[in-house]
Amino acid sequence: MSPVWLARRLLLMVYTVIIVCVLVFAITQALPADAAQTLLGENASPDALAAVRARLGLNDPVWLQFAHWASRAAVGNFGVSMRTGLPVAPEMLTALSRSLLLALCAIVVTLMVGVPLGIFAALRQGRLTDTVTSLVAYLGVSLPEFVTATVLTLVFSDRLPWLPATGYVSPLEDVAAAIGHLALPVLTVSVILVAHVMRMMRSETLDVLQSDYVRAARLKGLPERIVVVRHVVRNALLPVITIVALDVGYLLGGIIVIEEIFAIPGIGRALMIAITTRDLPSIQAGAMIMAVTYALTNTAADVVYALIDRRIRYD
Amino acid sequence: MRPALAISNYGLDYITSAGPVPVLRDISLEIAPGEVLGLVGESGSGKSSLAWALMRHLPANACEKGGSLALGDIDLQRLTAKQLTQVRGRRLGMVFQDPSTALNPTLTIGRQVTEALARHRGLRPREADALAIELLGHVELRNPAALMRRYPHEISGGEKQRVIIATAFGCKPEVILFDEPTTALDVITGARILDLFTRLRTETKVAALYISHDLAMMTRTADRVAVIKHGLVVEQAPASEIFRRPRQADTRALVAAVPRPERRLVHDRPEESVLLAANQIEVHYARRGLLRPAPPPATNAVDLTVRAGEILGLVGESGSGKSSIARALTGLARFSGDIAFAGRTLRSGDDMDRAYRRDVQIVFQHPDSSLNPRHRIGEILSRPLKLYGGNPVDVARLLEQVRLPASYASRWPHQLSGGEKQRVAIARAFAARPKLVICDEITAPLDVSVQAQIIELLLALRAETGAAYLFITHDLNLIRQIAHRIAVMRRGELVDCLPVEAFDADHVHPYTRELMAASPTPVG
Repeated sequence: MSPVWLARRLLLMVYTVIIVCVLVFAITQALPADAAQTLLGENASPDALAAVRARLGLNDPVWLQFAHWASRAAVGNFGVSMRTGLPVAPEMLTALSRSLLLALCAIVVTLMVGVPLGIFAALRQGRLTDTVTSLVAYLGVSLPEFVTATVLTLVFSDRLPWLPATGYVSPLEDVAAAIGHLALPVLTVSVILVAHVMRMMRSETLDVLQSDYVRAARLKGLPERIVVVRHVVRNALLPVITIVALDVGYLLGGIIVIEEIFAIPGIGRALMIAITTRDLPSIQAGAMIMAVTYALTNTAADVVYALIDRRIRYD
Repeated sequence: MRPALAISNYGLDYITSAGPVPVLRDISLEIAPGEVLGLVGESGSGKSSLAWALMRHLPANACEKGGSLALGDIDLQRLTAKQLTQVRGRRLGMVFQDPSTALNPTLTIGRQVTEALARHRGLRPREADALAIELLGHVELRNPAALMRRYPHEISGGEKQRVIIATAFGCKPEVILFDEPTTALDVITGARILDLFTRLRTETKVAALYISHDLAMMTRTADRVAVIKHGLVVEQAPASEIFRRPRQADTRALVAAVPRPERRLVHDRPEESVLLAANQIEVHYARRGLLRPAPPPATNAVDLTVRAGEILGLVGESGSGKSSIARALTGLARFSGDIAFAGRTLRSGDDMDRAYRRDVQIVFQHPDSSLNPRHRIGEILSRPLKLYGGNPVDVARLLEQVRLPASYASRWPHQLSGGEKQRVAIARAFAARPKLVICDEITAPLDVSVQAQIIELLLALRAETGAAYLFITHDLNLIRQIAHRIAVMRRGELVDCLPVEAFDADHVHPYTRELMAASPTPVG
């Protein structure tokens, strides 16, 4: 991996973020919400509305508004919430940190379960254990989150009073309680992701097992265990990295259902509230923060990919 | 003395949905210590299956039908999985056909050499590293210490094959199986690998089973040659005699099909009129990107003329740009420069109208990918007929022209053999009644006997239609049999363009001479 490649990849990320910036601003402009009206309520006098518009710069041309907004956004200032009057960026970042913690735990669990399971199924291709594993994985991915969540809550929180059903505790306050509160949501998300990762890992492992270099490794006299660990897993992992990076996107955007069920004040819920209350600064901040996180994750995935597979250079 | 490798009365079937298919029948072969036995046969003859059987790496549907495989005093068929890891590599090594896929792309060269050495010679990591560096140097790889830290994609195909050979010899096995080790390499690289093999076998006295389809090359490589056909060994003879005195009809057919430059198949002279003149052709594959400069062109201002009815050979190693020229002449690749054809000047693919495309047709290397698998042969052939104003009922005539039964029109491509598919591809090109047919390595994937039939067909079609050929190949012996002139390309440059009679002369380019020296002409 050359520095040129890395620089180019980072530049590409910056492009992406700039484009997202424009899109987010354009979409919030197009929303049928008048910031002044939202601030002052239904019964505001026309004079008061005009005054607020002038103060917020809403009468400026669109490009000037964008320039103002973008230059403030670049330093992390997305303005104050129309709902609470507090700066939105710290609020959104706190929400994001909760979602990220959930996502990170879910991905670690997913990889720790999904990767070995995929390899295991591939090595036993066509046998009963393979069929059963694949079937269970299929089941996991076909059930909607709320069904899985309900079942898990019913079992581990209701019948067996082991885990709290809802709520969020920061690990900075109480580690044990934090783990307890995260367990069920992480489990719910993992059930779905494990199926993704496991199926990908299984088919990739099967492909790699058929490759000439694995045959060459076997015919060199290496025992099967070393062939699998050294020659197969490494290569089969590559596409899984891409899948996981895409899953992070799903976790940040689609996790709203999970956050809602388990009452976790994450980014999904924060955005939901922002949208229903037409809190434009919060919507903008939330969308930008998610986009940047997504771009960062994918760049990180590309870097990891390039570290494992040295053929990736793009130069 | 006990043979190093003894195969006796060995039989092998593959179980398919249509029942068992015999692959090897009653094979008995012996290799003495230090001897090299060449195993020659066409594709599907079972020669590779024998290698897999010896390595105990048979597919799940293989069913062995008696006989024995003995490596010295070891009965290979009785080995357990664990014992097998002690035999593979350590006592029975193997060198593979395609070095580009035989090395793991995500591990360093050093790792892939030392993992075998450490295992089979009980070396500690540092000792294995030192030995690996020594071995890599011994197979004439430059700067072996640096090479150890590189990845397979960073070295050439020939270098990869040297790495694999170094690994195989480094474990000091009694017998090494060579499965077509030069087939995937270009002529000159392949010839150097053969030189290396010859040197190493003299030094190490290793016994070898050398599998190849190339009878001419085998006469220079092996001590004895066994010819295998349809799973049966039809003849065994000393390498020096098999060419001179083939006893069996099958061997004689194989010998006759080997291209020999002194046996000319074309005796006429082309017309003087120039059919196509390509001037200063540079082929560009990628445009300048947003963040990257344009790559250099694949060919470097190449000038080429084809006369009416001429067979122009275009030779060169892989990557020399010969296929790029074919792509430019057919408008498949972007190019600069111009092409003069039929009184017009074409400067890009956009200038190539239907009349030009009709006159200039191309046949590709792999009929498997150039024939649509979802179309029947009849449809494949009727498309160009419709496009170029022919009559769709002419499909039968086209098939007949390429010596295929008319009933093939209702078949699917996968129901045809490789040679038959290539005939269909040729028929498709001739459907347009072209003046120039570009043949891009069209016999490369075929066996020598099938290749001989395809060449015969091409020459017959030329006699019937008067078409000129631009015949792209890496087989110098073959092209010297048929071409009027031969153009030699190297690294995108045209280094030579000579009448075939002048090819032996002294004033040829040094690279052309090197290419000639590397082309294996049969001994005897």
